[in-house]
Amino acid sequence: MLLAGGLWLIFLGGSWYYALAGLGLILTGTLLNRGSMMALWLYLLVWTGTLGWAWWESGSDWWAQLPRMLSPTVILLLMLACIPTLSRNGRRPS
Amino acid sequence: MNLFLHIRLRRQLLALAGALLCVPALSALGQGGGTTEPLSRKAMPIPVGADWPYYGGDGTAQRFSPLSQITPANVRQLERAFVYHTGDLPPGGSAGKYAAETTPLKIGDSLVMCTAMNRLISIDAATGAERWRFDPEVPREAIPYGATCRGVAAYTDPERAEGKPCKVRVIEATLDARLIALDLSTGEPCTEFGNGGQVDLWEGIGDKVPGFYAVTAAPTVVGGVVVTGAQVKDGQAEDAPSGVIRGFDAVTGALVWAWDLAAPEEMRSGPPEGKTYTRGTPNMWTTATADEARGIVYLPLGNSAVDYYGSNRSEAENAYATSLVALDAATGEELWHFQTVRHDLWDYDLGSQPTLLDYKGEPAILLSSKQGDLFILNRETGAPLTPVGELTDLPQGDIEPEYVADSQPVSLWATLRKPPLTEKRMWGMTPIDQLYCRIRFRQMVYDGYLTPPSTRNYIQYPGYYGGNDWGSVAVDTSRGLLIANYNDIPNLTRLVPRAEADAEGMRPVGSPEGRAGRGQPQVGAPYGVTTNAGWRSGLTELPCTQPPYGGITAIDLATGDTVWDTPLGTALRNGPFGLPSRLPLKIGTPNNGGAVLTGSGLIFIGAAVDNLFRAIDIETGETLWTDALPAGGQANPISYEVDGRQYVLIAATGHHAMETGVSDAIIAYRLPD
Repeated sequence: MLLAGGLWLIFLGGSWYYALAGLGLILTGTLLNRGSMMALWLYLLVWTGTLGWAWWESGSDWWAQLPRMLSPTVILLLMLACIPTLSRNGRRPS
Repeated sequence: MNLFLHIRLRRQLLALAGALLCVPALSALGQGGGTTEPLSRKAMPIPVGADWPYYGGDGTAQRFSPLSQITPANVRQLERAFVYHTGDLPPGGSAGKYAAETTPLKIGDSLVMCTAMNRLISIDAATGAERWRFDPEVPREAIPYGATCRGVAAYTDPERAEGKPCKVRVIEATLDARLIALDLSTGEPCTEFGNGGQVDLWEGIGDKVPGFYAVTAAPTVVGGVVVTGAQVKDGQAEDAPSGVIRGFDAVTGALVWAWDLAAPEEMRSGPPEGKTYTRGTPNMWTTATADEARGIVYLPLGNSAVDYYGSNRSEAENAYATSLVALDAATGEELWHFQTVRHDLWDYDLGSQPTLLDYKGEPAILLSSKQGDLFILNRETGAPLTPVGELTDLPQGDIEPEYVADSQPVSLWATLRKPPLTEKRMWGMTPIDQLYCRIRFRQMVYDGYLTPPSTRNYIQYPGYYGGNDWGSVAVDTSRGLLIANYNDIPNLTRLVPRAEADAEGMRPVGSPEGRAGRGQPQVGAPYGVTTNAGWRSGLTELPCTQPPYGGITAIDLATGDTVWDTPLGTALRNGPFGLPSRLPLKIGTPNNGGAVLTGSGLIFIGAAVDNLFRAIDIETGETLWTDALPAGGQANPISYEVDGRQYVLIAATGHHAMETGVSDAIIAYRLPD
């Protein structure tokens, strides 16, 4: 959804962030389904990119950061909670 | 004979009652000491201080009280002195269309006020005990946009002996277009005023369509003349009641003059037999300001009856719409006018009551506007005293490019308007709904605040709530500060072609089929119009733009520079899907209603949709004290004194369109014993 909408926004001359973030989320999801630890590293990249972009767009305006950072950070915390599962998967011989 | 006897008896009783009850009020009125002009009909000026004798404080409408008992140091101890319930609530408990917006007057030891449905009430200013009430029995169908009565005027007849009934009278204009004069002390009608104490404002207006022509603002009395306009329901039809401004004798209620901007000479003493005042002309729905000493009344005019299409407007409408007009208050003749928007297609009508002040040695008038610009003009000539520039090469749009003005005046001194919207100011709860609003933003027609109307969705920013609206600005001349609260919200607007408007059933008020559909039909123009006020996201009901949605600012009168500017209102009562967030965080909400300033350097203001009443430090903008109101404080508060104690009072009666609930509570505060 984010990717499709993001592409539409780029088409309308708007920000590239949403399409890129959408792409990152899709890849993260794919990796997560495979139980790969790479999912976490990729999502960390998406989250760090989001942080940098959000700061660049809105700085320390916390109300403006609500849509930008809140749900990506919630997802990050969920991902971190997944570490034990992912690392177990990683140790398993494939 | 019987009737005559009855009237005489009634008068004697009234005189007796007046003699008994008028005494405290009149002794307070004497404080002004302005009774040295027995031949003129000038009202005795009552100073603001112990009293709050005019809607705007005193005649200057500075909304400033010199009282200083409540200070930044002790304001945290403030407590409720009394809560008075007016009893005027919408039937059935629903918020309905109530937005009383009332500011009482305080004269002597009484408060006098009107309610949403124009009931007039006098209460003890120290205890809230009711003294009298008068119900003009306004029918519910007379409610226009909302049931509103922002205030009343008081007039002291200098030719009447002390103690006579109606020596001091309170004058109200009603939703069903009547002027009513009552004795301030007893609440009894001033029978020699019009017909038994009432004047019918429908006279000369034309067909009586309830709700189409209604007065919501306090009248202004100057030189013994009561000046009033009326609210004409916006955007219904080009054939709408006239925006005529009329002056009536404050004692007899007789028409002194009428100012019909399209036919000022012909209509001066009222329309000729069989005619009405010129229909569809710009009206004055807000409160005028008068310069009693100069005998001038200043009229902040609105727009023509149809706001978003202009090609059918007359030259006279084009000349006067959205202008401040100065009239000779004795004759109704125009002295000058100053237009803030040419060919207004944005409903940037002048909603604020202007403020009189001395500015750099000249008699001045300060005018705030919905597009946010602040102007200071010479009160006698209308010449700007602060720099006014010209915006040129403006977007012309494709609806009526030949009508859209290609240049507009702009204040180079100070404005409440924020920089134009950009995509990154789109908002939401998550990246998904934020993305939705960003896509919508890119799809809109938007070319700055003077984007002309379009049949595509277009952004009007600031929207028609302002900038500054009827709450007006407040001025502290001792500190050289102007305090203005403002909205910072866009509207999403679209012109609806006539065929589509008809198919949707957009019909004007009073049409036989009844009103249906959304938006405004603008009958007579080729388009109706729909507005999404505050541009709420279709996904979450949250605004598509990020906070703040409103703020309050202090501006240095000498330079026009901003001293501080801070969001006004917390997120307590608002959140996604219409649910309250209960977050006590400052966010900056839409707001409606103004402030009162005190000599001790405090700003008291409700206005925001978090239903808090707050005290703000005028030097820093810091909120020092708040109290949760039972409903929104969308009303201008006042301050006054009784027996050496300072009070602050606000009507916490809510506002239907601001979604702040409904209440009948008038709440007064003071320091503990």
